[in-house]
Amino acid sequence: MIAFLVRRLLQAVAVLFIVTIMVFILIHRLPGGPARAELGVQATPTAIASFNQQHGFDKSLWTQYWTWLSELLRGDLGYSFKENSTVSALLLDRLPKTALLAGVSVLVAVLLAIPLGVVQALRRNTIVDYVFTAVTFVLYSTPSFWLSLILVLVFSVNLGWVPAQAPQGSIGAVLSQPSGLVLPVATIALISVALYSRYMRSSTIDNLTQDYVRTARAKGAAISRILFRHVLRNAISPVLTLLGLSLPFILSGTLITERVFNYPGMGLLFYNAAVTQDYPVLLAVTLIVAVATVAGSVFADICYALLDPRVRYAHA
Amino acid sequence: MATMLEISDLVVDIRSGRSTVRAVDGISLTLDPGRTLGLVGESGCGKSTTGLAVLGLLPAGGKVTRGSIRIDGHEIVGLREAEARAIRGRTVGVVFQDPMTALNPTQRIGAQVAEPLLIHGMANRSAAMKQAVDLLGEVGLSRPAAQAERFPHELSGGMRQRVMIALALICGPKLLVADEPTTALDVTTQDQILQLFDSLQQSRDMSILLITHDMGVVAGHTDEVAVMYAGRLAELATTHRLFGGYRHRYTEALLESIPTLDTPRGQRLATIAGLPPNLGGQLAPCRFAPRCAHAEQVCFDVEPQWSEQGEHGYACHLPRRTDADLMTESAGAPS
Ligand SMILES: Nc1ncnc2c1ncn2[C@@H]1O[C@H](COP(=O)(O)OP(=O)(O)O)[C@@H](O)[C@H]1O
Ligand code: SF4
Ligand SMILES: [Mg+2]
Repeated sequence: MIAFLVRRLLQAVAVLFIVTIMVFILIHRLPGGPARAELGVQATPTAIASFNQQHGFDKSLWTQYWTWLSELLRGDLGYSFKENSTVSALLLDRLPKTALLAGVSVLVAVLLAIPLGVVQALRRNTIVDYVFTAVTFVLYSTPSFWLSLILVLVFSVNLGWVPAQAPQGSIGAVLSQPSGLVLPVATIALISVALYSRYMRSSTIDNLTQDYVRTARAKGAAISRILFRHVLRNAISPVLTLLGLSLPFILSGTLITERVFNYPGMGLLFYNAAVTQDYPVLLAVTLIVAVATVAGSVFADICYALLDPRVRYAHA
Repeated sequence: MATMLEISDLVVDIRSGRSTVRAVDGISLTLDPGRTLGLVGESGCGKSTTGLAVLGLLPAGGKVTRGSIRIDGHEIVGLREAEARAIRGRTVGVVFQDPMTALNPTQRIGAQVAEPLLIHGMANRSAAMKQAVDLLGEVGLSRPAAQAERFPHELSGGMRQRVMIALALICGPKLLVADEPTTALDVTTQDQILQLFDSLQQSRDMSILLITHDMGVVAGHTDEVAVMYAGRLAELATTHRLFGGYRHRYTEALLESIPTLDTPRGQRLATIAGLPPNLGGQLAPCRFAPRCAHAEQVCFDVEPQWSEQGEHGYACHLPRRTDADLMTESAGAPS
């Protein structure tokens, strides 16, 4: 297991290394280079030259990459002139809030999806199954901005149960006003529930037809025991694996949702950076999302290994 | 002495989609305490379905259409699910063919073996685990306490089948259904597992319904044999009588198809030409007739009736003549 973990982490590091190279190339493929991006299209050649010299952009690509990478490793992601702040300070403020939103949403989605998938599996090809499938798929294919607008209309404008605006400020402020999280979380959770319930349904069906379930029945076990003691654990592991892999999907969901609810997370930061062409921020967020994607897939593999002793020991 | 298992005129239909298959068609047999009955026949003849009916575990779409199954005097056909559960694993244990898939891959062996005791409320957790470890030792696992902590995939096929046997026996059932328990194992292991069945039967005084397609297994490890073909019983006798003087032409064909020591290496095994019929389709009056080397017109016109002499029954129009028949014939004496 340790060897497996080490190997998997080394793989992840290799992938991340490639990611940094790609992000670095992205910076240097910008029209006119970073100088023009910072100083604007009107910048004079002298201004550009002095900017380049000041930031080391006149050095060789290799030296620049090395400098950039070592700064990156020290947590220095550059400076946003638009936000007038270091990018790392911005991310430090925004990232936890997005992690909170994404984490709670995924948790809610999975807690909905697991019982849903199990019920669908037990009632497969009945009206209950079809209705759940239809509803979750409609939600899955609904654009998130549209779904959030409907939720706002119903639950804050008409019913007035929850605010339509997310709380502003630090993560402490967000946490102290949990009602503001309800609609953003609902949006992301409802959109992604089909993703997980579908998996849960098919993996439960798959497990229910396995020989070991027949053995459990032959022991005299009731269906509830068969589900809770045998099937659930085996059926959940592909869903947890999917959890890690679905991270990019969730993060893109938060991007739109944060914009709609004006939730002060990384998604909103990214949106604003895109509008104002704030390249250091855009690239830093891209890098973070790439890191999160790689981390998600490592998480998926580790989950899989922890939950399935066959994998756990095969790699021991 | 009461019979342990009494099946009378059992009919099982399995519906899948629009078609219905009569997988078992009027089987009757009995099994006394402490005895082993071999249920033998080619694949697809309804052996497993018979075994599953005894457990009340027919596949989806399957149901007992007619007949009765009594276990230790109690009728089990028509029991409610909760009542059937109380019997499963406690009065009747089962060992399935494939020990690779029959165990839960993510649960430790000890817990799997101990579970029936917990289900039937026969022990608390720690007592159940202790019994499980003891029984794992009894079925031949060395260092059972350590093995109990392992997962199924860490054991060989033969060891897993021993675990499966322990799991089936933990509640001390009076009847064990073993459905092709050695088919998935290599020859040496097969032998060890069959010997284990023999010794467990001695020490526990239980009845075994041993389902197999292998006449060799039947010969060495059963007291009685029921030969099944296409959902019907072809022949039923004590093992001794059957091998001494089998009558049914299907039994004959099965026996001719087992390899013997003097079968020359490389020579193709004489197998029965063709396959058992599809039970959902049209069947000849003698279901074996289309494949039978001895079939005559009567076999395609009239259903052979069950005839019984002593404890030997069969249903064949043109039964094989036994040595005794031949002797009487050559002496010219009227029978
Ligand atoms: N789950 C099932 N669905 C449909 N038909 C089945 C099912 N199980 C068994 N059958 C049919 O019942 C007949 C007997 O099968 P089975 O009892 O498994 O035979 P055996 O154990 O002798 O090989 C076969 O014709 C098979 O097609
Ligand atoms: S009844 Fe006829 S066809 Fe059937 S087994 Fe006997 S001889 Fe063969
Ligand atoms: Mg079978």
